[in-house]
Amino acid sequence: MINFKRLSYQYPQSSHKVLDNVTIDIPAGTLTLVTGASGSGKSTLLRCINGLVPHFSGGIISGEIQVFGSDPIGEGVAVMAGKVGFVFQEPEAQFVFDTVEDEIVFSLENLGISRADMDRRINEVLNELDLSGLRHRKTNTLSGGEQQKVAIASALVAQPQVLVLDEPTSQLDPISADDVLKFMLALKTQRKLTVLISEHRLERLLPYADLILNLSEDKTIQFGDPQQVLPEIVQVPPIIEIARKFGLSPLPLKLETFPEISTDLLPSSNAQSNHSPKIEGETLLSVHNLNTSFSCRTILKEINLEIQGGEILVLMGPNGSGKTTFLRSVLKLIPSSGEIYLNGVDIQNLHFSEVIQNIAYLPQNPNDLLFAESVIDELKITLKNHGQDLTLINYSEFLDHFGLAEKMDQYPRDLSVGERQRTALAAITIHDPNIIFLDEPTRGLDYHAKRSLSDLFYQWREQGKAILLVTHDVEFAAHLADRVAVLERGQIIFVGSPTNAFTNIHGYQTQTAQLFPNRGWITPEDIENTTKPTF
Amino acid sequence: MINSSIWILWTVAVMVITLSIRNPFYLILVIVGLFYLGHRLARQKNISAWVLSNSRFILTMILLSTLINGLFAHVGSSVLFTLPKGWPLIGGNITTESLVYGAINGLMIGALYLLFNIINLALNIKQITRLIPRAFQPIAMVVTIALTFFPSIQQRTQEIKEAQMIRGNQMKKVADWLPILIPLLVSSLENAILLAESMTARGFHKQANLKAPLALVSLILAAFAVFSGWILQVYRYPRPIYITLFLLGSGLTVLTLFTIGKRSKITRYHQESWRLLDLLMGFLITFFLVSFAYLALTDRLLSLNFSPYPRLTLPRIQTLGIIFSLIPLLPSIISNHD
Repeated sequence: MINFKRLSYQYPQSSHKVLDNVTIDIPAGTLTLVTGASGSGKSTLLRCINGLVPHFSGGIISGEIQVFGSDPIGEGVAVMAGKVGFVFQEPEAQFVFDTVEDEIVFSLENLGISRADMDRRINEVLNELDLSGLRHRKTNTLSGGEQQKVAIASALVAQPQVLVLDEPTSQLDPISADDVLKFMLALKTQRKLTVLISEHRLERLLPYADLILNLSEDKTIQFGDPQQVLPEIVQVPPIIEIARKFGLSPLPLKLETFPEISTDLLPSSNAQSNHSPKIEGETLLSVHNLNTSFSCRTILKEINLEIQGGEILVLMGPNGSGKTTFLRSVLKLIPSSGEIYLNGVDIQNLHFSEVIQNIAYLPQNPNDLLFAESVIDELKITLKNHGQDLTLINYSEFLDHFGLAEKMDQYPRDLSVGERQRTALAAITIHDPNIIFLDEPTRGLDYHAKRSLSDLFYQWREQGKAILLVTHDVEFAAHLADRVAVLERGQIIFVGSPTNAFTNIHGYQTQTAQLFPNRGWITPEDIENTTKPTF
Repeated sequence: MINSSIWILWTVAVMVITLSIRNPFYLILVIVGLFYLGHRLARQKNISAWVLSNSRFILTMILLSTLINGLFAHVGSSVLFTLPKGWPLIGGNITTESLVYGAINGLMIGALYLLFNIINLALNIKQITRLIPRAFQPIAMVVTIALTFFPSIQQRTQEIKEAQMIRGNQMKKVADWLPILIPLLVSSLENAILLAESMTARGFHKQANLKAPLALVSLILAAFAVFSGWILQVYRYPRPIYITLFLLGSGLTVLTLFTIGKRSKITRYHQESWRLLDLLMGFLITFFLVSFAYLALTDRLLSLNFSPYPRLTLPRIQTLGIIFSLIPLLPSIISNHD
C-alpha cells in the first residue's frame, strides 16, 4: 500500500506548490499510470515515494506518505532504497559505473547484502530481463533499450516492493520501448510489484494500467480506474478517441477488446485525402549514394533521398540506425561520400555558411542551442551570425507563430520544456531557411506542446519549406507526414506514403491502422462521417 | 594486475619524491620512468596517441613555465637581454637562471600530470571510488561524478559546438566559445544532479557516522596534534617532537576513519585479492619511502635541492638520488599480463 495523505510540496525558491493536498491510496500489486501535462508534478510525486523529494531536492513538504509501512519523509532515501526501485528517464545519465555487472551490484553493496546472496540475486535478475549475455559489457556500448533494461535490473535487484519509473521509454524507438515494457510487466506479475509509471504517451501503457493518476494543470487530481478517469482527460490516445467517436462504453483499453463495429456505421470510402501526396513542389534537397563511415565502420550505405518544398518527410528507424548521422552528413558536419544537391547546386561547391543559410537543424537536445539572456536575444544572435540586418524583423510577430510573443524577454532556460523547444526552433529559423531538419523534437513533450509543434510545422509547409522530421513517435508522425522513409542498419528500407508505412511496417502501425486493417486509415481523423451507433 | 591499494601507495610515494626534488636531472629521470610505465600500461589502448598527447602537454608545460618565470622573475646573474624597465611586470633583466628555474617547475608539473594520467590507466572508476574511506561517502560521490563526467565532456562539447555552428557561429573569436560554455555548464550540472539522484535512490550515502561522539573527539584530537606539530615546527622546536606529533595526528585520523568505515554495512561483490607479489611490492615501496624520508630529513640527500640562483651551476648528482628517482618504475617489475 502506498498512501498519500494531504501531501503538499513546494520547491525551494518557488512561489507555488507543485503538489497541493494530494490524498490517494494505491493498493499493493497494482500498476498506476501517472499522467499530466509537463510541469504538472508527475516527477515530483514519484520522487516523494522514495524520499528524493524532499531529502534530495529540499523545499517545503507537509502531509504524510506511507509506503508499505515506511515513511519516506522521516526515514530518508537510503533506507527507502531497499523498498523502492527507481528508474529514470535518460538511460545513460543514471549509470554510475561503466560495466553492466558493477551497475547492477551497486545497490546491493550499499544495502550490505552478503556476497553469496548477491550472486544469486544478480543471476536471477539478469535471467529475468534476458541480460545474461550482456553481463560484462560496457554500459555505453548498449542500445537505448538494453540500457533501460539494465536500469530496471539495477533497481529490481534490491528486491523492492515498489518499482517507480519516470518516463522510462521516452527516449526509445517503438520496438525497444515495447520490449522494455514487456519485461517490466512480466516482472511485475512474477515479483508481485506495485508499479508507478509516468508517461506522456498513454497509448502504450493504457492496456496494462490498473489505475490512472492524472495531475491536471489546475492542481486537481483524478485518480481511479481507467474507466473512471479517462472521460475526464481531454488528450487521449487514438483508441480512446475512436471509442468516443462511436460512443462506446465501457471504453476499450486495448486493441484486442475493441468491439467489432458494423460496416454500415463506418464511412464507406477510404479516407485517404488527409494523407494523399501534396502537389509536388520543386526538389530542394537531393541525396545520391550517400555513404558515411566512422573508424572503418559503415554507418550509412547508399542513401538516396529527395525532399520537395512544401513537404513533411518523416524519417523513422530503430535507435542507432543512422538517422542523426544522416542529418549530420548532409550538413557537412561529418565527412561522407556521394552527391548532395541543395537547390540544384552540388554541396561540394558550397561553403558551410551557405549550407546553413538554407538548412536549419534542431539537434536532439535543444538546450544545446540556448545560452542568451532572453528569447529575443537568441533570435538576434542567429541573425548576427548570419550577417543579416537586425532591424528588418518584427520580432513579436515572428515569435507569435511560436506562441512565444509574451515570453520575448524571459530567460530561455526558465521556460517549460515545450516553450524551450519552440525557442530553439525560432532561433534556428529566424533567418528564413527553406529546409528544416528536426531530430526527435517531441521527446518529453506532452500532447498540448506537441499540438503547438505540429501547428508550426503546418505553417512552414504552407510557406513551401521542406521539413525532414526524425521521430520515434508513431502517432505524431502519422498526423504530420506527407511521406515516410525508414532507415535500418544504415540503409533506407522503405520510402512511401504514410498510409502504406503506418499500416504495413511491423512496429510502426498506428492504433487506428491496427483497429481498421485494410481501410487505409491511420489517424482517428481519417474516420470521417461516422454516425453515432446504437449498441 | 597490482592491487589498487598498492597503486595508491605507489602514487603517494611518487608524489612525495617528485615534490621534494628540485634537481632537474632527477626530475627528468622520474618523467622518463613514468613514461616507460605508462607506455606499458597503455599497451591495450593506443600507445602512440598516449605518448604523443602526454609529451605534448609536458613540453607545453615546460615551455610555458619557462617563459612565465623568465618574463616575471628578474633575479639571477647571467643576463641574456633586458626588456625596457618601463614595461609593467615583464620589464627588466631576462636571465638564464630564471628561465632554468621556470623549466624545473614545468618538469615538476609535467611529472605530476603524468602520474595522474597513469593512475587513470591503471585503475577504473570503481576502484578509485572504493579507495576513498567509507566514512567519506559524500566525497566519494563527488569523485564518482567527476570521474564519470570527464570522458563525456569532450563528446558533449562537440555536440554543442555543432549545434552552435549550425546557428552560424563561426568559432573564430574567443567570445564565440561562450555559447558553448554555457550550455555545457548547464547540461553538466543537470547530469550531475541526475547521477547523484540515481546514486542516492540506490542506497548510496546511507551512514552519517561522523556524528558519533567518539569519532568526532578523536578527529578533533588528531587535528589538534597536527596543528600543534606545525606550530612547533614554525618555532623550530627539536625535529623528533613535531614529527611525532604529525605521525600521531595522521595515525589517529586514519584509525578513526577506518573504524567508522568498518561500522558501515557496505559489502563488496568483487573483493580485490592480495597476492604475495602485491605484499612484496607494498613492502618495497614502503621501504623506499621511509628510507627516502629518513635520508632527506637527516640532510643526506642534499643533491635533491638544486637552485639555479644566484648563478647557474651544474646540479650535483648522488647515486642514492638516482635510485630514488627510479621508484616510479617499481610497478613495471610485475608484468601487467598476468
